[in-house]
Amino acid sequence: MNEVMVARGLVRRYPADGAPVHAVDGVDMAVEAGETVSVMGPSGCGKSTLLHLLGGLDHPDQGELYVAGRRVDKLSETQWAVLRRRSIGFVFQAFHLVDELTAVENVELPALLLGAPSRDARRKAMELLERLDVNERANHLPDQLSGGERQRVAVARALVNDPLVVLADEPTGNLDSRATGEILALFAGLREDRQTLLVVTHDARVAATADRLLSMRDGAIVAQTRLDARGNSLGALARLVDLGGDR
Amino acid sequence: MRSLRIASRLAWRNLRRRPGQAVLLLVTLTIATGTLSAGMWLSGSADGPWDRVWKATNGFHVSLAYYHDRGAPKLQLDRALRRASALGEEPGVVAAGGPWTLLDGHLDVGRESVDLTAEIRKPGRSPVDQPLVTAGRWLGAGGGIVLESGLASALHVGPGDTVTIQGRPFRVRGVAETVSVGRFPLSQPAQVWVTPQTGREMLRAGMTGEGFDLQLRLADPGNASAFAAAHRSIETSTRSSTMFLETWQQRRADSHSDLDILIEALLAAGGFIAVLTVATAAVIVTGRMAAETRRVGTLKAVGVTPRLIVLMLLIEYLGIAALATITGLGIGRLLAPRLAATSLTILGPPEPPLSWPRVGIVAAVAVAVVLLGTIRPAIRGIRHSTLRSLQSSARRPKRPARLARLAARIGLPVTGVLGIRSAWRRPGRLLTNAAGLALGIAMIVVALGLSRSLDLLALRFAEHPDALSGAAVDALYKQVRAIILGTAGLLLALGTINAFIVAAFAARDGARNHAVMRAMGATPRQTAATLIVSQLGACALAVGVGIPLGLGLWQLMAGGDLPRVEVSWTALLALMAAVPVAFAGIVSIPARWLARRPIAPQLVYE
Repeated sequence: MNEVMVARGLVRRYPADGAPVHAVDGVDMAVEAGETVSVMGPSGCGKSTLLHLLGGLDHPDQGELYVAGRRVDKLSETQWAVLRRRSIGFVFQAFHLVDELTAVENVELPALLLGAPSRDARRKAMELLERLDVNERANHLPDQLSGGERQRVAVARALVNDPLVVLADEPTGNLDSRATGEILALFAGLREDRQTLLVVTHDARVAATADRLLSMRDGAIVAQTRLDARGNSLGALARLVDLGGDR
Repeated sequence: MRSLRIASRLAWRNLRRRPGQAVLLLVTLTIATGTLSAGMWLSGSADGPWDRVWKATNGFHVSLAYYHDRGAPKLQLDRALRRASALGEEPGVVAAGGPWTLLDGHLDVGRESVDLTAEIRKPGRSPVDQPLVTAGRWLGAGGGIVLESGLASALHVGPGDTVTIQGRPFRVRGVAETVSVGRFPLSQPAQVWVTPQTGREMLRAGMTGEGFDLQLRLADPGNASAFAAAHRSIETSTRSSTMFLETWQQRRADSHSDLDILIEALLAAGGFIAVLTVATAAVIVTGRMAAETRRVGTLKAVGVTPRLIVLMLLIEYLGIAALATITGLGIGRLLAPRLAATSLTILGPPEPPLSWPRVGIVAAVAVAVVLLGTIRPAIRGIRHSTLRSLQSSARRPKRPARLARLAARIGLPVTGVLGIRSAWRRPGRLLTNAAGLALGIAMIVVALGLSRSLDLLALRFAEHPDALSGAAVDALYKQVRAIILGTAGLLLALGTINAFIVAAFAARDGARNHAVMRAMGATPRQTAATLIVSQLGACALAVGVGIPLGLGLWQLMAGGDLPRVEVSWTALLALMAAVPVAFAGIVSIPARWLARRPIAPQLVYE
């Protein structure tokens, strides 16, 4: 097995009146290379916090985290930054494109941070935008793009450094149904390309594109299932959602 | 009334919600109003003591003075005396003092000497300009001389001591003050009063007659200017003699040259600080603009009328302005007497006058500053649709700057390029910040020139034979230097506050973008560098404008009494290097704070 990302006993607590809230409460999980994993659960169950911990955007209070076999939960901010630029791509619900930069400049940013020559970074960025069918909007600022276009630019940005894993946090949460369909097709394409992908979502259609589905509740993973065939996915999803609801 | 109550409550709640910004605005405004108030309180603070002495001495309303060269024909002096006596008989004159003969000579102080005028008076009181004795006794039997109080103070002598005039000792009988001559050492020659008998001794010792003066009191003191204008024909000016009239108002206005210089310096400083405070307030207010616009939108959404919103904002900011005005006036009132007390010309404890127009000017400055902050968000919020006001967030970014593209082409690191782009996101804030810093830099350039010029002046005084007056002028210029340096310091402090506020707002505005950059792999150091670069544009602009501005101001100030010097290139180069380094140090504080913030909370969904 080639595990890209492994978490053991991951805990994240937040102070609150009285006892601290366990946003992530002892999560054990692993993501294999080329695998697409979906994490589902109700709002506030800790999905996004888990994703932030896996990407080093937040730090665990307990537990161990490994990326490509290397323990990373004790890394400094700078070491995490270097790791992210080399190995982890992010896609956010709110897109989080840099306002001042055009679409193509947003996409080439991680490549430039990695030290790629600007010409190479621009070429790679344009290739990705073309692949995701937003190359005609390459020189537009984010606020001149539609939601779907912004998210496609964000996906291109996440892929520009050929990361080990792409972490996507509610990638269709801010999109209309048409744009959601575009992103679903895009993720299906990534899955076919064996791009390792971890998607946090509460959209069953997005979750159904995964190889494996994790269900979260109250900060813990309460169930997981492998979605081998697209036809079985939605049924398995329905069972998982029911299971989560019964607990 | 009900609207006022609701608006007041909303304003108070908003002030309590953002106390830091309100306090900062209050402090910067108070610095401006305090400095202006100090200058304004100082202006006229010597008039009260002058009036007191003027009244106590039955001071003149119109004075006539006649001076002639040594060896001028006696006929000329007699003719002048006759004309002066005739003037004393003119309608409207109710009393005359003199004519009193003036002798010219030298007072020996150690190995140096001071020009001296001895005024010959008969023992007894004069109906006009009877000097007010502050120590010892007035002229009378037994001889002795009476020293003008500034002279006695400079020589550290009093009744019973001896001074040397024309090489001969004279016993000091008393010390007195009057408004008919200025105080030594800023007013020269020095003045003593002597009896006719002592005058004869002085003539034997080598003093010479130099003329006389005549002091007149009129039935109506307010008529002095008209009286003088009506008798201008008496004034003469030839190669060997001069005779002229002067009113009490003219004399009072010219009596405090040192205070006048201090007042001019303070008002100029206050003006500079006020301008910079406008910049500071604008920086604070523009930083609040987005939140204010959203708040206006929220209030409109719940049914608050635009009129009530304007009222609320006015109450909030005018409250701050009122507090700054009162505090500034209080500070000025406390400072002014202390500054005035250092004067060499003032005739007693300073009495800063209460003048409503001056209070009004200080209040107007404070109100003008805060209105800049009130009108814009109010109009913005009212003009925008309620929905748009509610949605108001970070400003729409500008198109990528050419400078940034050029920087990218020449291979500037990506963080530098991003910094340059960010700088153009808020051009108004950049320009305001640059303007504030430029004023501070300009004042440093002026202070550099002034300092060097005053050093040269001090060298001249050291070579000057009249060390007493030299030291007095030196002391005056030291005060001016202190004011200029103090102003430069204050302007720099305000510039620093501006730079810090702008950087802090930029950090707040850029927090999400920086978090995104870090999520994409930028290190904390790289994001901090981006923020610093984004602010350095203002600094570069400020250096580019501030140094020429300072050199221009110094060219205007130099000359006259001050030795004209060029500000050295070494100092200017050091300034050009030091300012960006210091600026980067200031900006790095919020930049590092931003870089240390955890990423995840800043990426929470909008």
